[in-house]
Amino acid sequence: MKITRSLVAAVTVGTLTLASCGGTKSESENTGVTDDTIKLGVLTDLSGPFLELSEAILAGNEIWVEQVNASGGVCGRDVELVVRDHGYDADAGVVAYQELESQVLGFMHVLGSPINAALDQNYLDNETTTVALSWSSFILKNPYIIVPGTTFDVEMINGLSYLMEQGQIKPGDTIGHIYLEGEYGENGLLGAEYFAAQHDLTIEKVKVLPTDSDLRNAVTGLKGSNVAAIAMTTTPAQTLNVAVVNQQLGLDVPIVGNNPAFGPNILTPETADALRNVYVVASATPYTSDVPKAQEVADLFEARGDGVPHAGVPYGYAIGEIWGQLLEGTCDDLTREGVKKAKDEADSLDTEDLVAELDFSSPGSPATRAVYVAVPNIDTPGGLDQQGELFVSEDAETYRAPEQQD
Amino acid sequence: MALALPLYVSEVWLRVFEYAMVGAVAAIGLTLLSGHCGQLSLGTPFFMLVGGTAYAALAADAEAGSDLVGIGLPPVIAIVGAVVVSSLAGLAFAPVAGRVSGIYLAVATLSLVFLGLYLGQRFTEFTGGAATGRPAPPFTIFGFSLTTREPELTVLGVPFGAQERMWYLFLILVIGGIFLALGAVRSRPGRSWRAVRDNPASAAAMGVNVARARATAFAVSAGYAGLAGVMMVLWFGLLKADENEFQGSWSIAAAISLLAIVIIGGLGSVWGAVLGAAFVFGLPLALRLLVPSVPLLASITEGSGGFTPSVITAFAYGSLIVLVVIFEPGGLAAIGRRITARFGR
Repeated sequence: MKITRSLVAAVTVGTLTLASCGGTKSESENTGVTDDTIKLGVLTDLSGPFLELSEAILAGNEIWVEQVNASGGVCGRDVELVVRDHGYDADAGVVAYQELESQVLGFMHVLGSPINAALDQNYLDNETTTVALSWSSFILKNPYIIVPGTTFDVEMINGLSYLMEQGQIKPGDTIGHIYLEGEYGENGLLGAEYFAAQHDLTIEKVKVLPTDSDLRNAVTGLKGSNVAAIAMTTTPAQTLNVAVVNQQLGLDVPIVGNNPAFGPNILTPETADALRNVYVVASATPYTSDVPKAQEVADLFEARGDGVPHAGVPYGYAIGEIWGQLLEGTCDDLTREGVKKAKDEADSLDTEDLVAELDFSSPGSPATRAVYVAVPNIDTPGGLDQQGELFVSEDAETYRAPEQQD
Repeated sequence: MALALPLYVSEVWLRVFEYAMVGAVAAIGLTLLSGHCGQLSLGTPFFMLVGGTAYAALAADAEAGSDLVGIGLPPVIAIVGAVVVSSLAGLAFAPVAGRVSGIYLAVATLSLVFLGLYLGQRFTEFTGGAATGRPAPPFTIFGFSLTTREPELTVLGVPFGAQERMWYLFLILVIGGIFLALGAVRSRPGRSWRAVRDNPASAAAMGVNVARARATAFAVSAGYAGLAGVMMVLWFGLLKADENEFQGSWSIAAAISLLAIVIIGGLGSVWGAVLGAAFVFGLPLALRLLVPSVPLLASITEGSGGFTPSVITAFAYGSLIVLVVIFEPGGLAAIGRRITARFGR
C-alpha cells in the first residue's frame, strides 16, 4: 500500500515537473518551407494492390524533382519529396498523413480513393492542397483537392463519343456497361448514362465486385441483349476476362474502358489478340506517345534503368509540373493559403500536352474534359498505342459534373 | 502517466495509441467469448460496423437535402444506443451460435463479414456507402467536443486539439471496458461461461442454462465490438462501408487481426487482449513511423525490394503467433504472470 502511494506521488510530481517545461508542440506559419527547400508529401501504395501504378507515378514525380532541382529549383528553393507507403489501408494512410502534415507544405499526390475519403476533412482542417489520385468527380466538392486531369464520368462520355465518331455504335443501339460497385464504378456509369440519354442509347447495366474474376455469364447476357459495344469501369483483370470471352463467344464488339481498366500486366502474347478490341480512355498520354514531352520523360525514365514502362511515369511527371507552376505562382507567399489561392486562380495550366490544359478555377468541375484514346499493343513499351491527338467530344463539354457549381 | 501523455507525445503518436485502444476494446469482447465461453468467432468486424453505423445514425442531425439518416440524439446516448443495438444483433445471432461450435462456428460467423459488406454498400442512407462514407458526428458533452478542436483549449501551454481530447475519451472507454470485463470474468457469468466451455453436459447438470450462457457471451462480445466500432468511426472521423471483403475496417483482414490479438495476448486474458492489441493494431502503424528515422530499418526498406513497413509487420506478427503457439500457448498473459510470480517472491 505504502509503495503504491509513494509511486503515485512520484509519478504525479514527475508529471507536473515535466508539464511545467512542456509546450514543445507548436504549429508554424509556413510549414514545409525553408529558405532553401520546399517539402511536399507523397502518400502512396508501395506494398498493396496498386504497387505497379504507384511506383510509376512516383518515378515520374522523382524525375520531375531531379530535373527541376538541377535547373535551380522552384522559387529559388529545392523541391524535396517525403514519401510514405500506406499499402492501400485507410488507417495507415491517416497516420502517415498526420505524420507528414506537420512537415510539408502540401501533398504532391495521395493515391487511393479510400485514403482520400478518410482524409477529406483533414484537407479542409489543415488547408493542405492535395493532388488526389482517385479520379471520381464526386470528390471535387473539396476545394483543397486537385484532380489532375479528367474524371471517370467524362472519360466514359469521351470514350463512347469516340466509338460513335468511328461509326462503331449508332443511336438506338444497346450498350453493355460492366462496372464495379463503389465510387469508381458509379462515377463511370454516370457518364455512360449521360451519353445514352443524349443519343437515345440503352444501357444494360452489370454491377460487379472487384473480386469477381469470371464474367462469362455477364458477357453471355450482354450477347443476348445484342449489345453494340461494352463499356468497362473495372479492374484490368476483369477487362481481360471480358475481352477474351467477347472473342470466344464470337460477339466481337468494341470494348471501351476507363483508365484504371487497363494495366500493362494483362497484355501477354496469348491475350494480345483478344485485347485488340479494347479502347482505353485516359486524360494522360500513354507511355509511348507522339507528344514530345512524353518522349523526353520516357528517355529520362529509361536512363534511370529501373522500373517497368507504364503510363504512370509521364503522368507523375505532369503532376510535378502542376505543382511547380502552382508554386511559381505564389513565390512571395509560400504558405498553404498562398498555394490554395494559386490553385483557385490557375485557369490554363499547361503541361506540354502530357495532360490537356488544366483549369482549376471553376469549383467542382473537372479540370479538363479532353482525353487520349489508346489501344493495347504488345510491341509498344507501356502496352498502349495512342490513337490521334487529344480528343474532346461535344457531349463531354456540355456535361454537368455532380459537384459543379457554375 | 497515461493521463499526462498528451502533454508530451505528438498527435501522430497519440493516433497510433488510440488505434491500438480501438483494437483492445474489440479484442476484450472477443477474448471473453472465445477464451471463456469457448466460442471461436470471426464476426467481430460485423458487430463493429453495426455499432459504428448505429452511432452515426443516432448522433447525426438530420439534414435537409441529404439522404443520410440522422436522429440527432446527444452523443453520449448515441454511444449507449450503439452498444445496445450491436448487443441485440449479437443476441439475434445467438440461436446459430448455440447450435454449432469450434471451427464450424468460426465459418458461420465469417458469413457475418460478408453480410456486413453487402448491407454496408446496400443501405447507404445509414453507412454513407463505400464511395465517400459519411462524416462521424463529433462526440460532445455539454457543448465541449472530445473529438474535434472546437472550442479551443490549451493546457499547460500545449494546444489541446482533436487527438489530445480523443485520447482521454478513449482512455475512459478502455478502462471502463477492462473493469467490466474483469468483473464478468470473476463473477457468476464468467464461471458459467467457463463451465460451458469445458463441458456443456456437466455445466447443464450443474444447473447452468447452456444456451443462455452462450447467448449472453455473444451479446456481451458484440456489445464490446459495437463500442470499438464507435471508436473506429470517431478515430477516422468518418464512417465508410468497405469496398471489398478483404480490406478495410470491417473486413476479413480485421477479423483475423482480432483473432491474432487474443491468441498473442493469451486466450481469455483481458490484459493480454490489451497488450495484443498494442502489438497487432499499434505495431504496423508505429513501424511505419519509425522506419524512416531508424537507419537499419530504413536501409532494409530502401528501394523497391518489397520490404515495406507493412510487409515487415506482417512477418513480425505472423512469426509472433507461431512462436506464441509453440512456446507459450498462454500468450503474453502467461509470460506476464510468470514475471509477476518471480518478483512477487
